[in-house]
Amino acid sequence: MRFTRRVWSLALILGLLGLALASMSEAGQFNWQQFKGTQLRVLINKHPWQAAIEPHLKDFEALTGIKLLVEVYPEDQFRAKTLVELTSGASSMDVFMTMPGQEGLKYMRAGWYQPVDEFLKDPSLTASDYNWNDFLDKARDAMVIEGKTIGPPIQIENSALMYRKDVFQKYNVKVPTTLDELEAAAKALNGKAMTDDGQPGFGFVARGKRAAATSQFAGMLYAMGGTWLTPNREPAINSPEAVKAIDMWGRLLRLYGPPGSENNHWYEASSIFSQGKAAIWLDANSLFPVIEDPQKSKIIGKVGYAVFPNGPNNHPGGTVAPWGLGIPKTSKNQKAAWLFLQWATNKEQVLKLQSEAGVLGARDSVWKDPKGRGKVPADLAVSLAEGSKVGTPLWNPPVVAVAEVRDAVGAAIVTSIQGGNVKAAADKAAADMKRIMAETEKK
Amino acid sequence: MARPNPLPPGLAMSDLRSPDSRWSLLIERHPVFFFTSPAALVIFVLMVFPVFYTVYMSLHSWFASSVTAPEFIGLANFKRAFVEDERFRNAIWLTIYFTVVATALQVVLGVALALLLNRPFRGKGFFRSVFLLPMVATPVAIALVWMMMFNPTLGVMNYLVGLIGLGPFKWVSDVRLVIPALAFVDTWEWTPLITLITLAGLASLPLEPYESALIDGATPAQMFWRITLPLLRPTIMVALLFRAIDCLKTFDIIYVMTAGGPGFASETLNVYTFQVGLFYFHIGYASSLLVILFALVMGVSLVLIKVRRGSW
Repeated sequence: MRFTRRVWSLALILGLLGLALASMSEAGQFNWQQFKGTQLRVLINKHPWQAAIEPHLKDFEALTGIKLLVEVYPEDQFRAKTLVELTSGASSMDVFMTMPGQEGLKYMRAGWYQPVDEFLKDPSLTASDYNWNDFLDKARDAMVIEGKTIGPPIQIENSALMYRKDVFQKYNVKVPTTLDELEAAAKALNGKAMTDDGQPGFGFVARGKRAAATSQFAGMLYAMGGTWLTPNREPAINSPEAVKAIDMWGRLLRLYGPPGSENNHWYEASSIFSQGKAAIWLDANSLFPVIEDPQKSKIIGKVGYAVFPNGPNNHPGGTVAPWGLGIPKTSKNQKAAWLFLQWATNKEQVLKLQSEAGVLGARDSVWKDPKGRGKVPADLAVSLAEGSKVGTPLWNPPVVAVAEVRDAVGAAIVTSIQGGNVKAAADKAAADMKRIMAETEKK
Repeated sequence: MARPNPLPPGLAMSDLRSPDSRWSLLIERHPVFFFTSPAALVIFVLMVFPVFYTVYMSLHSWFASSVTAPEFIGLANFKRAFVEDERFRNAIWLTIYFTVVATALQVVLGVALALLLNRPFRGKGFFRSVFLLPMVATPVAIALVWMMMFNPTLGVMNYLVGLIGLGPFKWVSDVRLVIPALAFVDTWEWTPLITLITLAGLASLPLEPYESALIDGATPAQMFWRITLPLLRPTIMVALLFRAIDCLKTFDIIYVMTAGGPGFASETLNVYTFQVGLFYFHIGYASSLLVILFALVMGVSLVLIKVRRGSW
C-alpha cells in the first residue's frame, strides 16, 4: 500500500514536472499572436516616419490580432499632450514616440518610461531574428538613459557636413575631414562665385540662433574633445576644449558666414545654402529633402554629404539624434506594446520605410542592403551609417531642464559670433548651468 | 372672439406658466442678481480666478512636470527677479525702450496722417481705407513677411536702403538695431489705429474757436498749436493709452521675428515670461514675472489716464 502510494506520488511529481517543462518550452517559443484581442493606444507625432508607417499598421493587426488605436498630433501639441498625460499619472497610453535627447532624462527621473531591457532578453517576447545589435552603435546608445533602454530608435539624423561639390571642384579645394581643413576651406571659398549667375557666396553657413544653435554645435564640442558635463555632473562648458569649440563656431560664422547669423535657425541657413549662396553647411543631414527639392532649391545634385569633420588628434565629431518609441510605465499592456515596438523596428519594416519613403532608419544591415538606400543620395547613406557609429548621442545637454540650459549655452555661442569675450561667456554659461541644474534636479 | 390655441391639443397656455412658482417669484424679486449672474460667472471663471491664481502661484516655486508639488516660498521669486536675475532687468529695460520708441513714432505719425487725411481732396475715401490695411492683417503673417524683408542676405530692405547709399545693415540681427527695427514694424502696423481715433476726434471739434481765431488774425500754425492740439489732447491720450498697453505686452511680432534674439537683445518681459513658463516650466517664477508685468501695465495706464484728465 505504502509503496504504491509512493510510486503514485512520484509519478505525479514527475508528471507535473514534465508538464511544467513542456509549458516552459512552450513559453520559450515566440508567438506574435500571444496577445490577441488586446487594444493598444498609440500616440505619434506628425513626422515622415508616421506618414510612412501608417499604411502598414493593418499588417501588424493582422499578424498579431492586436487592435491599434492611433492618435497623431503635430509636434508641439504632441509634446504638450504626452507631457500632460504622463504628469497626470493616469495615462491610458501604451506606446508613444519619444526623443531621448530632448526629454529622456526628465521622463526617466520622473519614472515615466517602462524600460524594455527585460523584454529584450526574454525569448518568449522577442523574436529570435530581431537582432538588437544590428542598430547602429550610437543610435542604440542614445536610447539608453541612466543604464536603462527605453525602446528602439525609429529614425536617426546626424549633425553632418553638407558641401557644394561643384564649388569645391571648381576652386580645387579638398573636402574637409578635420576642423582645420574645414576652416581652411571656408576661408578659401568665402566670397567666391558660386550661384547660378556667378554671384559670390559665403564660405560657411550654420545655425547661430541662441538655443537652436546648440544641437549642431554639439558636434563640434564633441570633435574638440569637450563634453557638456564632467562625469560627476558638473558643467564642462567652460573647459578649454569647450571654449575652443564655442570660439570656432562663432569665428566661422563671423568671418566666413552670412551677416546676421546670430538670428539664423536651420530654415534661414537652409535658404541661404539652397539658393547657392554658401559653400559649406553644417546641420542635420535629415534636412536633405530641402536641398534636393526642385521647388525650393537651386543646387539639386550639386551637394555632397560627409561625416562631421574630426577634431584634434582625429577625435570624431558630429551627433546622433534618434526619435524612438517608448512604453509608459502606466500602460497595462506593456508586453503587447513591446510587440508593436518590435514589429515597427524589425528589419523588414525598416527596409520598407527606408526604401519606400526615405525614412532614415537606424539599422546597419538595412543601410548595407542595396535596396535599403531607396531615394537617399549614396554619399548620404554612407556618411549616415558611418556618422551614427562615431557621433555623440548627446546632441543635447544631458540635463532635466534641456531648453533652459540650451538657452544659457546658446547665449555664449551668440557672444562668440558677435566677437565678444568667449571665455567669459562660457564661464557665465557654466555658472547658469550649475544654477539651473541645482534648481531642477534637486532630489 | 377667442384666439385659437397655438399649442398641441391637451395643453392650455396656463400650463406653460406657473406665476406662483417659487423660482419665478425669486427671480422677480432679485432681477439684478439673476440676470447678471451668468455674465458674472463667466468673468469670474475666465478672468478673476486666473488673475488670483497667478498671484497665488507667484508665491510658489514649482518646476512643472517634475513629480514634486509646488512649494511656498513667499516673495523669493520677486527678490530673485529684482536682485539676481540679469535677464529680467534686461527685459524690463527693453520693454520700456520698445514701448517708448514705438508709441512715440506712432503718435507723431498717426496724428500727422490724420490731419492730412482730414483735408478735403480727391480720392480721400480710397486713401483712408488703404492706410488702414496694415492694421487688419494678422500680426504673425506681418512678422514673417518683415522677417524675410529684413534678412541681411536675401531680404529686400538692404537693397532699398542701398539705393540711397546706406547700409548694408544687419537689422534684427544687430544688437543695437533690433529694438528700433521691431518698433518700426509695430509702427507700420499700428499707426493707422492712432490715425483712426484722431480722425474721429477731429470730426467732433467745434468750429467756433477757429472762427474767432480767424477774426483775431491767427496764422494756421498758431491755430494748430493753440487750438487743434489742445482740443485733441484727450483723444490722442486715449490712442496713446491703447498703444502703450499693447506695446508693453507685445509678443507676436517679437517672438516670430527674433524670439528675443540675437542673444537676449530683444527679449522683452512678455517674451521672457513665455520662455520661463512654457519652455523652462518654472511656473511659479513665470507667474511672478506676470504679476510684475501686470503692475507695470497698470501703472503706466493709471499715469496716462491722469494725464488725459488734465490733472497733471
